[in-house]
Amino acid sequence: MSERNLTYEDLVQIVELVKSTSQFSEFRLKVGDIEVSLKRANGEARPLPVPVQRSTEEKPVSRGKVSVSENLHAVKAPMVGTFYRAPAPGEPPFVEVGQEVEPDTIVCIIEVMKLMNSIEAGVRGVVKEIAVPNATAVEYGEALMGIEPR
Amino acid sequence: MTKRQKRFDFVDVTLRDAHQCLWGTRMTTEMMTPVLSEIDRAGYSVINILGGAVFDVCVRYLHENPWDRIALLCERLSTPCDALTRGQSLYTFELFPDDVVALNAQLLARLGIKVFTVYDALNDNRNLESSVKAGREAGMKINGWMTYTLSPVHTDAYYVERAKELLALGSDYLCIKDPTGLLTPERGATLFPAVVKASSGVPVQLHSHCQSALAPKVYEEAIKAGFQAGYTASEPLANGASLPATEEIGAIARRLGFQVSLDDEVLKTIAGYFRWLCIREGKPCGQVAKYDPALYEHQIPGGMISNLHYQLETMKLGHRLPEILEEIAQVRKDLGYPIVVSPFAQYLVTQATLNVVQGERYKTIPDEIRKYARGYYGKVAAPMAPEFLERLNLKSSELVTGRPGEHIEPWLPRLRKELGPGASDGDLLLAAFYDKDLLAPLERPKPEYRFKTSPLHELVAWMGQRRDIEHARIRFAGTEMTFSA
Repeated sequence: MSERNLTYEDLVQIVELVKSTSQFSEFRLKVGDIEVSLKRANGEARPLPVPVQRSTEEKPVSRGKVSVSENLHAVKAPMVGTFYRAPAPGEPPFVEVGQEVEPDTIVCIIEVMKLMNSIEAGVRGVVKEIAVPNATAVEYGEALMGIEPR
Repeated sequence: MTKRQKRFDFVDVTLRDAHQCLWGTRMTTEMMTPVLSEIDRAGYSVINILGGAVFDVCVRYLHENPWDRIALLCERLSTPCDALTRGQSLYTFELFPDDVVALNAQLLARLGIKVFTVYDALNDNRNLESSVKAGREAGMKINGWMTYTLSPVHTDAYYVERAKELLALGSDYLCIKDPTGLLTPERGATLFPAVVKASSGVPVQLHSHCQSALAPKVYEEAIKAGFQAGYTASEPLANGASLPATEEIGAIARRLGFQVSLDDEVLKTIAGYFRWLCIREGKPCGQVAKYDPALYEHQIPGGMISNLHYQLETMKLGHRLPEILEEIAQVRKDLGYPIVVSPFAQYLVTQATLNVVQGERYKTIPDEIRKYARGYYGKVAAPMAPEFLERLNLKSSELVTGRPGEHIEPWLPRLRKELGPGASDGDLLLAAFYDKDLLAPLERPKPEYRFKTSPLHELVAWMGQRRDIEHARIRFAGTEMTFSA
């Protein structure tokens, strides 16, 4: 047992011990034929890294709930998600204000849990208002667009 | 003359699925290189180094060029290396045209991949045709996987049919892949002999995860049934959501009287390194899972449930998780029993959430689920529910009945034009898979890789990184070293 190599088991043990004694300025360990001694700067342990705040705790910037004018048909978000006006980045929006739509015209996309939900106008009419900016988070039932029925 | 002892082989997944399951696929090439020569000597018949998530995480999060990793590992390992792709979707969940699929197979072969593993998340083997053809032409062995799941349609006869299709495609190996650890020894007792019988001598392998903690028993059943190899991981990165430990399955095979070519001493060194790596990197080691019968109901892997809970919390819907899990089982039935793997697992979860939140089934159906129902991704396993189909209101012109890849125009001519004549095959493929801004960080200079290490070396390196240590002396077995800041 006199001539042997340090094993990974030894390494794991030593490292765990060194880590668990970080408040001490000196550390000496002798187990069998292994000896480790350490001195720490000024006897001060390096402060433990502060865990990064999880993103759940970040409050999203609240964007006062907007609605569309009462006389218009409101296209609503089916779910909490992200509102997109175009099928893909860089592509033209599905609809613009003033555009005529049929009930099955796709007017926007709501991304819900990484899946895309094409949202139809629901009525024949003219797009009068777009209440939400592109790529913003929307609430369940939030009015996204106002359509004047024809 | 003694009767020749039967052999059971091992495919290593430590560098691929093990860290995919336990570390969110975050093992870097730099963490792999010091232990490659040991893995090479451990007695594995094949080493799996690539899969969809590995490729994607390399690009998106580790900022490593995946082709460089593949080339390096293939060069350093003399054991045959295996690469896994999701058939026509390759490393992502989109479908790619045949020319991209073929170029990918050619490049993998050129980089040194010897075994080309293919599977389709719907078990629609038409999605493998293009990969298999190109892979075979490029000189790789073809390993055809079928994905296991529980449903009234996924019977033993269903898997025998899939096995026959894979053989007809020209698979050199067959494999049952059980992504959620749903296999039980009881099911194995009927399924495994049926598949071995159908394999007409082509080696059959098992790739099963440990979520239900039954995997070692299931592997034992597979060995008895005549499976030729099993996928396993080094012990610290085995169990839990990962695969079983090489050490454990090796012992089971030996006890059953099989010859196993594993070197236990080398396996011990590998396990020591990975146990240390878990500590050094602050990553979890695999823990043996608790047996949970609920897994067989919703089939959603534990990792995904915690992720779903987190997503729901951010939407202030955390309290509705039990309802949503229950709804997932209903949605899965209505959709014709898709297998609960990516990307279909996400489809089920999202549709179930929409149904629960809206208080009405299928009021909103995501576009991807519509595509799935159209047959765009491949054949749906069982008839879909009338209630769902009514809401979908598919026109017959929307239905896709041919091989999904057939309908996609070639991309390479356009990509070659965009990237210019100097573009390598690797660059062309990366451009096919990713946006330009995701690829820019891959140009970073590579670190200096170390190809060996020792516990002592790791100890010194670790001490050197501790800024609080001013002076250290290490002494053992006649060696002494001192270092000061």
